[in-house]
Parts: sequence; C-alpha cells; structure tokens
Amino acid sequence: MAAAALGPAILRRIRLSPSPSSSQPFAAAAAAAASHPHALARWLSRPMSSHDAHLTREEVVDRVLDVLKSHPKVDPSKVNPDAHFEKDLGLDSLDTVEVVMAIEEEFKLEIPDREADKIDSLPLAIEYVSNHPMAA
Amino acid sequence: MAAAVTSPVRSEVLSLFRSFLRTSRQFSDYNIREYTRRRAADAFRENRALADAPTAAAAFAEGKKQLEVAKRQAKNTMFHATLLTKMW
Repeated sequence: MAAAALGPAILRRIRLSPSPSSSQPFAAAAAAAASHPHALARWLSRPMSSHDAHLTREEVVDRVLDVLKSHPKVDPSKVNPDAHFEKDLGLDSLDTVEVVMAIEEEFKLEIPDREADKIDSLPLAIEYVSNHPMAA
Repeated sequence: MAAAVTSPVRSEVLSLFRSFLRTSRQFSDYNIREYTRRRAADAFRENRALADAPTAAAAFAEGKKQLEVAKRQAKNTMFHATLLTKMW
C-alpha cells in the first residue's frame, strides 16, 4: 500500500536543525536526536505503528463492498456501507454464511463461529475487519 | 421407550454449513471445491423447509455424515498431492 511506504520515505528526507535549549522536552529530545539521524528516524517512526500493513478504514470499506457486489445473489446497485444482508440485500441466512466466508478469504482471516454469527450487515462486517489486527 | 427427537437449532445448522464451506477450501482442485460448496448450499436450502422434528433431525444427521466424508476426501487429496510432489 503506497500510504504505508510514505512514512519511511518522508522520514528519510527530514532534516532537523537543533534549536537552542528550551523547556519543552519534545524540542530537547529532538535536538538530541537530530545529531544522530538514524536515532531520530527511529524515534519519529515509533508513533507510526510498526504494523505497516494495517488497513485504512476506507480500504476496508471498499474491499468489503466489492466482496458483496461479487456475490452472485447480490444486486450490486443495492450495496452500500449501511446495508443489512437480509433486510436490504434480500439474502437468507445461508447466503450470509457464504458472504462472511468470502470476507474471511478477502482479508485472510479466520472468524470464529460465535463472532461470525453476529455479522449480519455491512456495518458490522466493516467494523469487525477494521478492528481485527491480522486483517490483510 | 422412544428417545426424544429434537430438530437441530438454527445456529447448529449454520455451523454445519460453515464447516462444509471450510472443508471445501482444502480442495485445491477448483471443480471439486466448487461442487462441494454448491452441493452443500443446495442441500441445506432444500431442507430448510422441513417442518417436523424427526425429518429435520435425520437430515441434520445425514449432513454431519456427509461432512465427515468430505473431510476424509480432503485429507486424501492432500495426502495424494504430497505423495506426488515427493515422487517427482
């Protein structure tokens, strides 16, 4: 994902000139770190998760929408991020199981039965994938 | 004394269906994989309207048997595939 590569790319181009001492710990730390560029890069990147592969919500929404639209029983024009599988898309419970399995395959997840049983709409599916640390 | 026959709970049925779909994933052959999925979906849908408990329970029991068959087949397919790769 291009966005994930931006962070390190930006860091490589940052040059900080140490400012005269101030009472702010941030500036002091930055000043100390500026003399050691690699340490600076490491320090700055820490707030950015080491989990570079983490998906943005937008990406999750787009991919979940695609999974639904690809399902043979679904009318693509009815698919939107708020849709309920049975009430809005006219799916039955067996179709819902198939859809959740397709979402598992899309994001390389394995969803335990008790969680999968709760996913009956797009908002819930998007929520689950967004919160899952292993979603890829 | 007849044993009480209870039809399966909805969540059990969906769980069994899910197991079929998971097992079918193990087949690397597209045709077998799709057949297993489609056959399971058709069978479950066909039996959805079973009204009385004994028939539903029997269908559920049959489904569980078929799942075991599919699982064994998946294992054999993987076993044979492994054998083949080792031979060459």
